Amino acid sequence: MNQAIRELQSLESLSKEDRWVNNLHPLVKLFVTALFLVLTVSFDKYNLAGLLSMAVYPLVTFTIADLSFADALKRLRYVLPIVCVVGIFNPFFDRDIVMQVGSLAVSGGVLSMLTLMGKAILTVLAGYLLIATTSMERICLGLRMLHVPSLLVTEILLIYRYLTVLLKETRRVTNSYALRAPGQKGIHISAWGSLAGLLLLRSMDRAERLYESMQIRGFHGEFYTGRQESMKKADWIYLAVWTAVLCALRFLPLTAVLGGWIA
Amino acid sequence: MHMADALVAPAVAGCMYACSTAAAAYSVHKVRLEDDAKKIPVMGVMGAFVFSAQMINFAIPGTGSSGHLCGGMMLSALLGPYAGFLTMIGVLLIQCLFFADGGLLALGCNIWNMAFYGCFIGALCIWRPIMKGGATKKKITIASILGCVLTLQLGALSVAIETLLSGITELPFAGFVGTMQPIHLAIGLVEGLITAAVLCFVHEARPELLWGTEESDEKGRFSFGATVGILAAAALVIGGGVSLLASSDPDGLEWSMEKVPGTAELEAEGAVYSAASGIQEATAFLPDYAFQNSESALGTTVSGIVGALMVLVVCVAACLLFRFFKRKKAEA
Amino acid sequence: MSHIHINLDHVTFSYGKGQPVLNDLCLSAAEHDSIGIIGANGVGKSTLLKLLVGLELPDQGEIRIEEIPLKKQTLQKIREKIGYVFQDSESQLFMTTVEEDVAFAPRNYGLPEEEVSRRVDAALKRVHIEHLKGKSIYRLSGGEKKLVSIATILSMTPDIILMDEPSVALDPQNRRNLIHIIREFEHLKMIASHDLDFIWDTCERTILMNDGRIVWDGPTEEIMRNEKLLTENGLELPLSLSRR
Repeated sequence: MNQAIRELQSLESLSKEDRWVNNLHPLVKLFVTALFLVLTVSFDKYNLAGLLSMAVYPLVTFTIADLSFADALKRLRYVLPIVCVVGIFNPFFDRDIVMQVGSLAVSGGVLSMLTLMGKAILTVLAGYLLIATTSMERICLGLRMLHVPSLLVTEILLIYRYLTVLLKETRRVTNSYALRAPGQKGIHISAWGSLAGLLLLRSMDRAERLYESMQIRGFHGEFYTGRQESMKKADWIYLAVWTAVLCALRFLPLTAVLGGWIA
Repeated sequence: MHMADALVAPAVAGCMYACSTAAAAYSVHKVRLEDDAKKIPVMGVMGAFVFSAQMINFAIPGTGSSGHLCGGMMLSALLGPYAGFLTMIGVLLIQCLFFADGGLLALGCNIWNMAFYGCFIGALCIWRPIMKGGATKKKITIASILGCVLTLQLGALSVAIETLLSGITELPFAGFVGTMQPIHLAIGLVEGLITAAVLCFVHEARPELLWGTEESDEKGRFSFGATVGILAAAALVIGGGVSLLASSDPDGLEWSMEKVPGTAELEAEGAVYSAASGIQEATAFLPDYAFQNSESALGTTVSGIVGALMVLVVCVAACLLFRFFKRKKAEA
Repeated sequence: MSHIHINLDHVTFSYGKGQPVLNDLCLSAAEHDSIGIIGANGVGKSTLLKLLVGLELPDQGEIRIEEIPLKKQTLQKIREKIGYVFQDSESQLFMTTVEEDVAFAPRNYGLPEEEVSRRVDAALKRVHIEHLKGKSIYRLSGGEKKLVSIATILSMTPDIILMDEPSVALDPQNRRNLIHIIREFEHLKMIASHDLDFIWDTCERTILMNDGRIVWDGPTEEIMRNEKLLTENGLELPLSLSRR
């Protein structure tokens, strides 16, 4: 839980920094991220070469945005287990040799496992890039411009707003439990209902106060945000350059041609 | 349970996004109809609550491990299917953006696997029928456990199907399902118990907070017993049946889908699979560059990887130079 | 003669079917008054404030705000004139940045964007936190949150400001700063608190409540020195006096 709070706060401050990439239009970054993700996962399961070349995008953008690869790769911990479970068996089932590197024979299974891991790493990096350079408010602004209903966007903003508040409250409650119950690994069954239940009731009361606070300030079910952002020249350039580069890496056999020259 | 971006093919991701979007649009419509401005703050705070409550470790008696709360069922019981579903979307989006749990591309799948089953099936098919005629502790416990088990089974099955359709694993469907379902049966039972404990507490303290528990004289189509019976049977079929079927073959892992004749359900899935791979082939750009058969592609692969590595080396060098000069400039 | 802004006429209120929390309350307050509401926990101070902004409606009796009777139909109009600062700033501030939150009310009242931004700047200036404008709510300290929540109601340009326990959880410096700011306000102020020193520093008139009724109503100076009356109603002399 401490880690979750820390992570939220570090992302929040990263996204608020005044850097060139941060100031790009949120829609542009959403689009480039989505394009990258789609193109990356669309590679065939044996196409490690093509996949490797896609790493150009995170390499360049992380450098421009001055982000840390280490922080981004730590985020692999949630997705890696399931990806491993799914991929680890490939070498056992697919034993056909598809590649010969010197004396080393690489089977299809190994290649497809590596490709899968590569996809996991690249997609996680791209996700980090988006959220570390774009604040939640701006992502939601982008969602509004994509005509996602305001009901949903407002609710997402509120979840985000109260996440840290409730995480800290939960931490206080579990800490106070742990202090009075040394040696227990989690919440004892006798307190299952009351501990989380009280937290729930307090949250409901908070929602009630929140609603009151909205009401006395003229709320009638609709959030108005004044800001509208328009695309600037830099936005168009960023969009055009990455669309071109990513499509070229995906569709043109660049790596094979280049490798052919050398090999 | 969260699908990762790497596990889904674009066609599968797109298809699941479409399904989830449809369910979301319907939910937005339904919530707007209720015209209750208070719903919005309640959804926001409850989303944050579920998020943080899922981080609490509940010790499972007799074992060294711990379990967690089931978000979908919890929200169903508090907000009903539509508001609950929208809240789960928010929770899943923030999980994927801030904690890389799941992924942006797989978000459509995750919404379906967790939020749709948890809220729509959980609230409409389980919670409401069982709560007909007022809530009691016993009913809440049964509904929570049944709901968690059933929705998790459905979710796990969907994860397996989506992974398979994406064609990234050599793992036979049966083997995958055979591991996923029993694991999630256990998880579902524990999550159900924890969720039941919390909901029973709420029922005692503030019964009006629970959704769909108003006492009404109206007779349901099924009696309480019948409803529970039907649902339990459904849970058994999906949970037990599929995993039994999967593990009935001693070499479960070698068991591939084409070899199983006569199972209508699985054949249908086979059809879906071939249809989906057909779509994928049609949408796969430059199919002859992708490795259709590995034999002829042998040469291309090696030179391709060499080329890719070259690109990366140049790129890394350029990036290092960039950072170096930037630092110099900052120092100067 | 100054204008009567708040008028409560035999107001009774209870939550659900329970004991009345407010019992046959009569009260009036004029323009530029500064009124402290004191009393032990649970005597109905917060409830009284909630009734004044129409978050709860009285069971019996009538409330008039600037001559307008408070009813469901008039709520919108009344809430433009009366601002309420919650005890818990965390629940009051629900947008993500200070600017967005302060702009929330003016936008809801449909003001044009230039006017909204003018009001935001004016409200922030009023509580001396112009520098916090672009900051995230989570990055604020407790004292800053309190000032921002005051700014969020100032942007509605109300005539009346209600505050519930404004000094709770503030450090001495923030507390002094808040006193200073409140004293600058020319609005009609009502402050509910059991921090008697705070009331003494900010209010000229004080109402002592007990059991849903007004026990005493008069100049602050007088009640603060009346140890007997205070102890009878579950309170103690202000610290600044008892120290001596």
